[in-house]
Amino acid sequence: MVSRSEVLSLCRAMLRAGRQYPHYNLREYTKRRTLDGFRMNNTDQSKVNEAYAEAKAQLVVLERSVKFHSLYPPKTKNIMEVKLQ
Amino acid sequence: MASKAITSTIRRALSKPHGVVSRRHHLSTAAAAATDYEDESIMMKGVRISGRPLYLDMQATTPIDPRVFDAMNDSGINEYGNPHSRTHLYGWEAENAVEVARIQVAKLIGASPKEIIFMSGATEANNTAVKGVMHFYKDTKKHVITTQTEHKCVLDSCRHLQQEGFEVTYLPVKTDGLVDLEMLREAIRPDTGLVSIMAVNNEIGVVQPMEEIGQICKEHNVPFHTDAAQAIGKIPVDVKKWNIGLMSMSAHKIYGPKGVGALFVRRRPRIRLEPLMNGGGQERGLRSGTAATQQILGFGAACDLAMKEMEYDEKWIKGLQERLLNGIREKLDGVVVNGSMESRYSGNLNLSFAYVEGESLLMGLKEVAVSSGSACTSASLEPSYVLRALGVDEDMAHTSIRFGIGRFTTKEEIDKAVELTVKQVVKLREMSPLYEMVKEGIDIKNIQWSQH
Repeated sequence: MVSRSEVLSLCRAMLRAGRQYPHYNLREYTKRRTLDGFRMNNTDQSKVNEAYAEAKAQLVVLERSVKFHSLYPPKTKNIMEVKLQ
Repeated sequence: MASKAITSTIRRALSKPHGVVSRRHHLSTAAAAATDYEDESIMMKGVRISGRPLYLDMQATTPIDPRVFDAMNDSGINEYGNPHSRTHLYGWEAENAVEVARIQVAKLIGASPKEIIFMSGATEANNTAVKGVMHFYKDTKKHVITTQTEHKCVLDSCRHLQQEGFEVTYLPVKTDGLVDLEMLREAIRPDTGLVSIMAVNNEIGVVQPMEEIGQICKEHNVPFHTDAAQAIGKIPVDVKKWNIGLMSMSAHKIYGPKGVGALFVRRRPRIRLEPLMNGGGQERGLRSGTAATQQILGFGAACDLAMKEMEYDEKWIKGLQERLLNGIREKLDGVVVNGSMESRYSGNLNLSFAYVEGESLLMGLKEVAVSSGSACTSASLEPSYVLRALGVDEDMAHTSIRFGIGRFTTKEEIDKAVELTVKQVVKLREMSPLYEMVKEGIDIKNIQWSQH
């Protein structure tokens, strides 16, 4: 049985990793999908262990892909980021 | 110390590009996202935009999902063997990887892995299906049925068949873009060899009544081919329920890599076709050539992902479509949605703005990457044949814009797209004399324009 703190720390790790994407769309998607994913799996207590294991595997993929995508950042800022200033 | 500073300044000065594009190279970390970008602007084709436009053209292509990229990299670097090499580990590994991808694709559409043939994309799959089936049965079957709103590759293949002596019926569509089932029933002849109707149209986004069409084809025992490039991974596709004989699929529409696709060819009852690519007999003899392992793995991973994310994405995209449509309708009148609103894939919204000139609207919307009605089909400025088949007036067909919403689109992007579109349309309408006349109550269609 995974504890609440473990789940929360996994969620935080995924959000922290997703924030490193230099690409606007991927950053926003990772944030939204992680939060929605954790919220959706919150309801069914019997599947929590399974969901936790799956999310842990996805964290590995996420960190690897963030490193890879950071090697090729976009050369100009996205319109959405420019106007935010 | 000082010499190092000097050399680094010189290096920086020399490496600054003297080109049309003025940009600054930045570090690849999140901190970079927040650093200063004073004159970050892109100058291309005589147009200056302040940043990369927001991407709302998901029907043309989609960005590769990072999870799909991850699945391609490991194999691309390490498992580089030819999947058809039978004698060593590299070949066995690559073959296993391709088989795994085949199972992933088959699961998405409810087929058996033996029925999937990997190809270079939906265009090749469409060509193989249309020409291959008809050439195989050319002694007995001489007739093909398709619609007027099909993708260009299907229409062009049919035209090629017409030149070879086959007969083709191009079914008209109703004003909402759907096929008339009675017309289809009447058009089927004893020598009909193929019915080809696309599942989701790439321009207007309408979803055809696939189950009913499949039922009609089953009654008359005619193979049913569908171009499902825009449909898989987005709407639930089941080849058994829809009674499909052949289905074309494309990877780059579902967040996969470009250059790979697949053709589903039913085995029970067996559909036979003549291959387009002759050679060593790979892929059941229907498509010879070395399988593009890395791309195929990406395709498989994209299909797997699409199966898991379909419900979540559908909910998100539907919400964004409503936000877009309501946002535009609140501020503008004279906005028409092309194609049926009920039977539609939510990620595709094709709007026509009355009393606005199409090309100038597109030129003004340079900070939003959208497509117009005519972009996909021809280099000329003719309005698209799909809109013409729907019976849309010439002036409305010219001002059509297709918004494509996808998995990675955000609410803020939609709000910004609404803001930019409304601003541009209002500006153009203020300049338009036709709009003034309409405001005064004159009916444009009944005006007698005098000759000068």
